[in-house]
Amino acid sequence: MWGCPFHPWKQLVLSLNLIHLAVFPTSAPWAVLLGQPETAAVLKRTVEALMERGAIVRNLENLGERALPYKISKHNHRHRRGGYFLVDLEGPPSIVSTMMDHLGRDIDIIRRAFIKYPVSKTEECSGIVPVNCEDKLIPKKK
Amino acid sequence: MGARASCAQRVLGEADMAALAVAGGRRCCRWVPALMWERPCRLQHQQAAAESDLPIEMENPYEEPPKRCILCGINVDYKNVQLLSQFVSPYTGRIYGRHITGLCNKKQKEISKAIKRAHILGFMPVMFKNPSFLTDPKICNVKY
Repeated sequence: MWGCPFHPWKQLVLSLNLIHLAVFPTSAPWAVLLGQPETAAVLKRTVEALMERGAIVRNLENLGERALPYKISKHNHRHRRGGYFLVDLEGPPSIVSTMMDHLGRDIDIIRRAFIKYPVSKTEECSGIVPVNCEDKLIPKKK
Repeated sequence: MGARASCAQRVLGEADMAALAVAGGRRCCRWVPALMWERPCRLQHQQAAAESDLPIEMENPYEEPPKRCILCGINVDYKNVQLLSQFVSPYTGRIYGRHITGLCNKKQKEISKAIKRAHILGFMPVMFKNPSFLTDPKICNVKY
């Protein structure tokens, strides 16, 4: 899916809504503490890189700074705390691999991910449908 | 046997001829074996249209609404760690099976996927349950 040769205008129509999540380290025993200006710089870098590749950034959410659920070792450091950020963006699927490479090289980003926009279908939930066992026993005619 | 199907006429078979001979020339009564007697036979395809006694087809008025699992109508998100932690063992951090959680197929799959995603993205601890969520109400059918 990522390498499909779409036309430029079709690419816009068929683009996926992707969410990108990154965890930035805020403090570690032997690493530089990431203060507010540094965090802002990292976010600016990321968003600029995304826009360079033709993605439209819709929203940037801060999910808070907290202790990581487990210690993460990345770029020769063992991180215990981090800041969680959620970038709401829309773009062609081809930027995913390039962006993951780019973010992987950034020392300040601990964990990166691109997630498809969750399509909420919960309103159609009609409860548990009772299974018709008789239909399962009868072999289907091909 | 044929006479049972067609109620209209009786065909004079061999049995009839024998009966006549036995009777010894009696013209009025004909000895007919019991099998050949004309009996009022009700055929389904003839009677069904006329009868108004049959049940009327309608939806079951006493039908119960379909059963819903706990999460029916709730949007499952990988960021909602507290909700996800309710379906995870506090000792080992393992995801509970369908027979314990009591969720429907769809929701169990969604929860499972969300928990694994939360593990990888660094939202939820893997080997244990977040201590701050230990006092949450018990949803699952687990006996500690």
